[in-house]
Amino acid sequence: MSAAIVAKGLGKVYPGSRSALPALADLSLEVPSGGVYGLIGRNGAGKTTFVRIAATQLNPTSGELRVLGYDVEGEERAIRARIACVPQESRPLYFLRVEEVIYTYLKMRGLPPTDARRRTHDVLEELSLTEYRRRLVSRLSGGLRRRTICAMVLASDADVLFLDEPTTGLDPLARREVWEAIRRASRENRTILLTTHYLDEAEALSRRLALVERGRLMLEGSPADLRGRVRYPYRVTVQGRLGRADLEPYGKVSDIEGGYLVFTGESEARELARRALEVGAHLTIGPVSLEDIFLDVVGRSIEEETSPSTESAEGEEAGA
Amino acid sequence: MSQRHRLRSLFTLVLVNGVIPIRTQPLYLVNLLASPLSFLFFIYVISHGALLAFGITGGLVLTMLTAGTGLQSDLTHYRHDMKFQDVVVASPVEAPVYVVGMAFSELVYSLPAIAVFVFLFVAKGYASLDSALVVGGVLILVWGFATALAFTLATYFEDVRETFMFSPLISLILTVLPPVYYPLAYLPRWAQIVARFSPTTYAAALVQCSVGIAPSACGASVLDWGVLGAVTAALFLVAAFKARWKDA
Repeated sequence: MSAAIVAKGLGKVYPGSRSALPALADLSLEVPSGGVYGLIGRNGAGKTTFVRIAATQLNPTSGELRVLGYDVEGEERAIRARIACVPQESRPLYFLRVEEVIYTYLKMRGLPPTDARRRTHDVLEELSLTEYRRRLVSRLSGGLRRRTICAMVLASDADVLFLDEPTTGLDPLARREVWEAIRRASRENRTILLTTHYLDEAEALSRRLALVERGRLMLEGSPADLRGRVRYPYRVTVQGRLGRADLEPYGKVSDIEGGYLVFTGESEARELARRALEVGAHLTIGPVSLEDIFLDVVGRSIEEETSPSTESAEGEEAGA
Repeated sequence: MSQRHRLRSLFTLVLVNGVIPIRTQPLYLVNLLASPLSFLFFIYVISHGALLAFGITGGLVLTMLTAGTGLQSDLTHYRHDMKFQDVVVASPVEAPVYVVGMAFSELVYSLPAIAVFVFLFVAKGYASLDSALVVGGVLILVWGFATALAFTLATYFEDVRETFMFSPLISLILTVLPPVYYPLAYLPRWAQIVARFSPTTYAAALVQCSVGIAPSACGASVLDWGVLGAVTAALFLVAAFKARWKDA
């Protein structure tokens, strides 16, 4: 499988940054052609910086990044002809109607009017936006605006799509419609680089995932690979009868509401299940989630904010 | 991108930023007519009609200048609040196509003002082939340098509020202090020297000379064209090399 995006030793320090930490530090990554590649990490981890460099919106400080074989420094024109991007926190122009957002974007990219019209019609159907097609963006809810800007990019003819937190602010139903459109686009042999901090979304859509923390690549592989690489592949919740001291021999124990969460191995999970049944404790058992893997690798939840030093790098990112 | 695709992109940008917003809010058309007409009114009243000709030629210059500088707030707003520039950067649309498309779209808002001042220009009997060529050439250069300046500034502003601070300053430096609405000779000697630092002084001199309302402005037409052309070229070069299309 050839790679659509290849990063080698990529580094980024924002000009004038007072942060001790670079936004990206020696990050090497290969995004295979076709399918969805998920980039996950907390706010300020460096996801947006990576996407902006790959989408030729931002210069790297060091290292190399190639998109479809072209260097982001010097061969931007060849890359830009083949990419499309939903930037983080982007919004469609408020005075356009929904269908105009998509149609004019496609025409701006150079598509002939008939092709642009057909693609606009199709994507409106696909993302359940047809009933809103004549509505002004200024009169849409935040979720519908986000869906409109996703539709705009998904309707394009680009080979590589960059979707930077595309479903933020969408309700669960709308998120799933966007997921379906992303899946369909990926089946057209397009490469989609998706950043998100919804781990269920990353897991549901991505063929492969990269976990980034403080500008560094922590873990990379398919969701199954990632599960195989953590110390404890099973999660067991225990409520009642068994205390922390009883559970610690089985693995890593954390407090949860009304009981304990134990990360453990397969044989230990079986033994713990037997013990819980004997004493009459309530127990659930299953493979670790992506959230658990994240917690294990990073040591903090994806919802937790980054340290102040990293945050300042992210803050500078917006204004750089 | 082929020339055909470039033209399609350009016309689409004019449609997106120039034509469609007017459908939503037709008052945009009146907005750009207000300032030059206000100046014209005051000049007419205060001079008892004697300086009406300066008000008309000044209004033309101000309209084209505003069409160019008005770009800075739109571009800054689109860049920071909508992330529209990022969407465009990550697409086949090239920076010059974006800027020219957006510049023409700003011109759409100025069409009523241009129409009013051209009508007054013709009605007052200033229109001849020679004067039309000079005034047309000057207005294109004024619009060009104002657009290049606005684009460059917009890529450095971090918030649209910064444009609110710069717009009156630019207007002061380029239209109020220089003798756009009156002859240069009306200014004291020291102020004439200061006014020479503004490119609009040279633009106004050329326009005022071409319609015969300020014979004193006709002494250095070659220099006036030279300075206006050089400033425009310099600001285009600054825009080409210093504007931030891709962030550092």
